[in-house]
Amino acid sequence: MAPAGNNRSRLLLVVLLVTALFFITLDLRGVSLAKGSRSVTQSVLAPVQRAVSSAFSPVGNFFSNVKNFGKTKARVTELETENAKLQSQLILNKDIQGQLTQLRGALDLAGRAGYTVVSARVIGKGSTSTFSETFTIDAGTRDGIRRDMTVIASSGLVGVVKSVTSSSAIVLLMSDPTFRIGVRIAGTQSAGVLLGQGDTSYTLQLLDPAGTITVGAELVSLGSDGDKPFVPGIPVGRVTSVDRTSTSLTQQATVIGLTNLQTVGVVSVITKMAKQNPKDSLVPTPIPTVTVTAQPVPFTPPIILPSLSPSPGTSASPSPKATK
Amino acid sequence: MSPFRIASSAIFLLIVFVFQETLVAQIDLPVAGFSLYLFALIGLISLEDRSGALILGFLGGLILDLSPSTDSPIGQWAFALTVIGYLLSTNKESIGDFTTRPLAFVLFVAAGVTLSLFFYLAIGLLLGENNGSISRLVSIVLGNALWTVLFSPVLLPILPKLRALSLTSRERI
Repeated sequence: MAPAGNNRSRLLLVVLLVTALFFITLDLRGVSLAKGSRSVTQSVLAPVQRAVSSAFSPVGNFFSNVKNFGKTKARVTELETENAKLQSQLILNKDIQGQLTQLRGALDLAGRAGYTVVSARVIGKGSTSTFSETFTIDAGTRDGIRRDMTVIASSGLVGVVKSVTSSSAIVLLMSDPTFRIGVRIAGTQSAGVLLGQGDTSYTLQLLDPAGTITVGAELVSLGSDGDKPFVPGIPVGRVTSVDRTSTSLTQQATVIGLTNLQTVGVVSVITKMAKQNPKDSLVPTPIPTVTVTAQPVPFTPPIILPSLSPSPGTSASPSPKATK
Repeated sequence: MSPFRIASSAIFLLIVFVFQETLVAQIDLPVAGFSLYLFALIGLISLEDRSGALILGFLGGLILDLSPSTDSPIGQWAFALTVIGYLLSTNKESIGDFTTRPLAFVLFVAAGVTLSLFFYLAIGLLLGENNGSISRLVSIVLGNALWTVLFSPVLLPILPKLRALSLTSRERI
């Protein structure tokens, strides 16, 4: 016969599990249990996150730098040169300087398209134990931010506003595995769906069976009905490889995001779309390289004119033609 | 488990939860992040008897369900951690007293954290959640396990001391 304590704990186990299942069922049936309670949590956590973010961001950045050490090793020489120039600018706070640059980039991108944006600082990242890729930003409904608004950074798309309180918002990043966005290959009308993978790469599934994808092609957002959750024309990513072995009817490709989500500190939320669709105007264009071709000029020895009456201290100078 | 200890444990877990969400989650550790909250919860569960482990697992899971960055329904973590609480409390009886065997304690907590994450993912799978590729999930779970093992020797001795503070005089005997 089982001891009484064991029976009691089994009964407790059943009661607790049924309660948990009851909560799950309520949530899945549409009772906004999660939304309300998480909104309260977010409201409580946002001020703390804001305070911690300003004090702690250098330490967080340090760990991020350590993590990316392998990738950045190749750039060490280049950065050392750049570092020498930056030494003179160290009088300014490095953190603020970086945020200003990102803000300028994001505003520049929004300005070119004519979007109305609200800029915000990233004050927190989602915990890994939640298995989702999110940011918390320090702007909310009182700044005009609503759910399902597009979030951009200087290079392009970052994600979409998932939930919002009066002073903060959670942004679902484009790297989240549940993230889906309709995209168009810039310069063509070929449309596809870009899928988040949980890391820096994405999968593009072309919708057009006759369409082709080329390596290096830029992708822009296709836009949603009523511009929510996505406004059209935002640069999203660049095709790095095309999957030619796929058995699906349409082509697939691997895409790298234009925005490095690990280092984003300032983002802009698009609160109002431009009157006109920017189409491909926001696609980053490569900086044109100037090629200089020089023709070898045969050397002509300077012509020294004989002086009729040479005087001491005078030297012959080459004619202007000779110095050309 | 006395009502006072339930309340004090819940308050302690809430503090750790705020600490996790605001500070620990911002540290971009290699492989995957470290969940201080899961570590603290599993550590406390390991020190409890069966009923205590069940109650702490359920309460701790409900607190974790409140995380604003998660997409899962409320109750998923509570369900997962209640089951894990039961599993850990039944199995720890065969291991013995942790206070004299620190290495066993570290490994037990790391295994608990890993199992919790796996079980949470398994429930998510049944509910039709998409959490990304298998390789990503495995790296997150194993990364968490790795960091738990590495941080445990520093953090784990604190938990029994904190728990001792919340014991009533009858429980001390």
